Amino acid sequence: MIMDWALLTEWTIKSLVLIFGLIGGFAYLTLFERKVLARFQVRIGPNRAGPHGILQPIADAIKLIFKEELIPAKADKIIFIVAPIITVIPALIILAVVPFGPDIRLFGRTITLYISDLNVAVLYIMSVTSISVYGIVLAGWSSNNKYATLGGIRSTAQMISYELALGLGFVGPILLSGSLSLVGIVDAQKNVWFFLYQPVGAFIFWVANLAEVNRAPFDMPEAEQELTAGYHTEYSGMKFALFFMAEYIKMIAVSAIAVTLFFGGYRGPLVDQFPVLGPLYFLIKVVAFLYLMVWVRATLPRIRYDRLMAFGWKLLFPISLGNVLLTAVGIGLVGITGNNLWLWFIPVSTILFFLLVSHFAQGAVAGGNK
Amino acid sequence: MLNNWLYIGLILIIAPIFPIMALIIPRILAPHKPSPLKSETYECGIETVGDTWVQFKVQYYNFALIFLIFDVEIVFLFPWAIAYQQLPLFAVVEGILFILILVAGLVYAWRKGFLEWF
Amino acid sequence: MSAQVVTENVDLLEKFPQSVKQDDRAGYAGYIVSADHLLEVVRFIRDDMGFDYLASITGVDYLPNGLMEAVYHFYKTSGGPGLVIKTQVDREQAAIPSLVSLYPGADFQEREAWDLLGIRFDGHPDLRRILMWEGFAGHPLRKDWHEPYYEEEGKPYKSRWPEGKVYRREDKNPFHKNVDYPAGFDPDKWVPDDDSTLYASVNKISSAGGESGIKTDYVIVNMGPQHPSTHGVFRMVVALEGETIRALKPVMGYLHRNHEKIGERNTFLQNMPFTDRLDYLSSMSNNFGYALAVEKLMGIKPPERAEYLRVIMAEFTRISNHLFAIGSLLNDMGAYFTPMLYAIEERELILDIFEATAGSRIMCNYFRFGGVARDLPEGVEEKMRDLAFKRLPRKIDELDLYLTNNEIVKARGEGVGVLTPEQAIAYSASGPVLRASGVPYDIRRADPYSIYDRFDFDVAVRYHGDVYDRYLIRVDEMRQSVRIIQQALNGLPKGPIQEGKPQYLVRVPAGEAYGRVEAPKGELGFYVVSNGKANPWRYHVRAPSFVNITALETMAKGNKVADTVAILGSIDIVLGELDR
Repeated sequence: MIMDWALLTEWTIKSLVLIFGLIGGFAYLTLFERKVLARFQVRIGPNRAGPHGILQPIADAIKLIFKEELIPAKADKIIFIVAPIITVIPALIILAVVPFGPDIRLFGRTITLYISDLNVAVLYIMSVTSISVYGIVLAGWSSNNKYATLGGIRSTAQMISYELALGLGFVGPILLSGSLSLVGIVDAQKNVWFFLYQPVGAFIFWVANLAEVNRAPFDMPEAEQELTAGYHTEYSGMKFALFFMAEYIKMIAVSAIAVTLFFGGYRGPLVDQFPVLGPLYFLIKVVAFLYLMVWVRATLPRIRYDRLMAFGWKLLFPISLGNVLLTAVGIGLVGITGNNLWLWFIPVSTILFFLLVSHFAQGAVAGGNK
Repeated sequence: MLNNWLYIGLILIIAPIFPIMALIIPRILAPHKPSPLKSETYECGIETVGDTWVQFKVQYYNFALIFLIFDVEIVFLFPWAIAYQQLPLFAVVEGILFILILVAGLVYAWRKGFLEWF
Repeated sequence: MSAQVVTENVDLLEKFPQSVKQDDRAGYAGYIVSADHLLEVVRFIRDDMGFDYLASITGVDYLPNGLMEAVYHFYKTSGGPGLVIKTQVDREQAAIPSLVSLYPGADFQEREAWDLLGIRFDGHPDLRRILMWEGFAGHPLRKDWHEPYYEEEGKPYKSRWPEGKVYRREDKNPFHKNVDYPAGFDPDKWVPDDDSTLYASVNKISSAGGESGIKTDYVIVNMGPQHPSTHGVFRMVVALEGETIRALKPVMGYLHRNHEKIGERNTFLQNMPFTDRLDYLSSMSNNFGYALAVEKLMGIKPPERAEYLRVIMAEFTRISNHLFAIGSLLNDMGAYFTPMLYAIEERELILDIFEATAGSRIMCNYFRFGGVARDLPEGVEEKMRDLAFKRLPRKIDELDLYLTNNEIVKARGEGVGVLTPEQAIAYSASGPVLRASGVPYDIRRADPYSIYDRFDFDVAVRYHGDVYDRYLIRVDEMRQSVRIIQQALNGLPKGPIQEGKPQYLVRVPAGEAYGRVEAPKGELGFYVVSNGKANPWRYHVRAPSFVNITALETMAKGNKVADTVAILGSIDIVLGELDR
């Protein structure tokens, strides 16, 4: 049964489509970001390569391929070469458990639009994201460059700190759906998106995501103004491109995961009648989130490192713990009373809790200054 | 179910192909003219002084320690969360107690000043 | 020139009859103090006479007399005219006591005088070269120091037109002989200087210390010269403990071109476009300072309309400079260019006006001795009115709205890089840096030049002395500049724009003058000495960027590495002026 070749071929094709989709998505995400940033900044943006600059990513890729790659004499060579690979692979495989649409009938077969429906998909995502920290810290360390080392160490401390809030953000949807599988979580959002029950959870998940993928205003590891380029200072050519790619693919990945957990995944009007709409809805939602990320980058200055840590530990972490507690209480109330309206206790109470904590914790976070 | 892990294994095999290709292709296409100046460490155009791999500030590691404790505890929350809707009240209270213990740990670390950056 | 010294200070002569005498050379003012008693006299000047602000230190090489003279300009932060004292020593063994113990702000200026003129300041804690590199042969501003391409003392050179044909001096130089080397120097065996003295000076301060019993190694990191946020080729050597800065030494001179030496070769008027190249973001203010200094020497005043035009241009320059400064400060805080591009939208319109009037957007070269170069072309006044009454107030409000209450801007700025008022004065900080520390000292008000005494404006002042206040003060100052421009546009008279006939070769009588203006970045002073010839004998620029950077280490110490960049951005340096 396992050696079902047709099945294996199908899945290989799906894997390849996912990987090439992500790489293509990365290429055009860079253009998208530059275009959107330019519009935010009263500029035009890339418009030379092809009409409206649509060939720009290809030109960039060609340039990067033909660049000489340098390895510093003092660097630890093996780790230096392996680090970008370690960074990219988790980014590529993270989305294997995310459903992009409902099942589709094609060539007389039922094709599922996901690579794998793991029953521990959430754990899978958490463990895979953790691996990419290694790539960054090893890249920083092996370069034997002061900026890179500092950037690498910074990013380790930062990413692990925000992973806590991220992990707790998963708990809300799990509590509501009773499933660790993302397919199960999407199915549970048939009627109401979890965003409505979990506004605070979604917000914290989103903020933690920004820190997790090193996006502004949490782009500490590559803080250009302080550390020239952070952990990838010494990288050039395709090796640099791999880091760049990992970062942008992770942007796509976390947007997709956020959409899946809180915004109904591929769900939308008429999806059950026309399954093809599923991936389309999914794409639209993901692009909306990517737009949000670019918007944040265009708007906000960078938070300082000590503030960032204080923000993560003293604000996000307690709030997400409270969010989990209140969600549990809300679901418990539904179980006791049997009335589904008690579910609305969750957003009301969590928002109140959020406002309360952020009011009191403001001093604690700002106190890190002196 | 095992199938699903097989598919993960499949993509794990396919995924590295791309980055490895990305490292090999430039080897063929890109120019390669090393010189001692090029392979110097970059430090804003100045020769670097002192050692980079030094005894770093311990604070970064403090955070790693605290993280380790909490991360494991969060993972323990997951099974509780899945089964939550079928759990008896006793287990629910237990789970909430567990979260409160987590909070106590956080408060302890906070009061000890481990979350301060100096 | 004599107006700079108040008569009530004659008691300096009575107090120190042996060591102080009046400077009675024709065209000179102030006192000459003997080097042995300098510290004593300066302490009296600071503590008893109240001249708490040391504006400028420089030197003049009087080669024909065999004298090296150090010139000090003191002012009171409470306002009023200044005091000039000089110390003369033998130029072969020039050694003068250092003033760093009394005025920490003397630090870099004394190092500069040592570097360029070879005056040794005894008691200076860290007397290294500052603009030239260690190992450079000689002191270039000495009159007997000649550069490799030396032709003759002053322009216009005769030698370039031997038969009515131009040739380049460089062409006559054999290859490899176009650089002066120290005696016994072999370029092929030369090993680049390892900066050991510099690193030693950082290490001295950062002797390692432990916290909670766990040892942390300091890391010495070079930020710059090739760094994205040092505003040019500026270098800071920092000793880091984790993220915290324990010691910092600025290193400059990468853009050094010996502006002053070139300036002494130029004729007086040739220096006017050359001043544009100092702070290339605010060339009008540079012109202003130099024109004032030379006009003091010549004893002329520009006509009314020219005065108004000067003020309008200088204030527009201030606004455009501050827009740029705020934009790049936000960039330094990590914003991705959006504030910058929003801010410089209006700057472009200001540059349009400069282009229409002066012919050039950046290098304006607009001022002349006793006037300005051109009158306003048709339609420019309306453009100015549109800017001053409509667009600029709106833009400033917009920046204020978007940035001032931004949580992250506040978090990054408040309490960061604090400079107390006492420190600010002691370090000779000027301009926005000084006023953000709570010292309401604005030369336009304290020692009015041109026609600034006619306008109604407030001296912006803030009291915390941190990065956030240095941002706020620039917003405040832009508002005041708009007020001045509005009044000046309303009062702009008709009439000539140039006193007398415009001349290429001006006659400047012998003497000295110190012309200072409140440039956007701080006090910009030009110390000009004339010996009656076509070229200035001494042409010194007291650059605000250069003097303000003296306080950088004090501001940065103990802050995070990310803050250093913000602090540097809040000082608002321009390398063209810093390195000269």
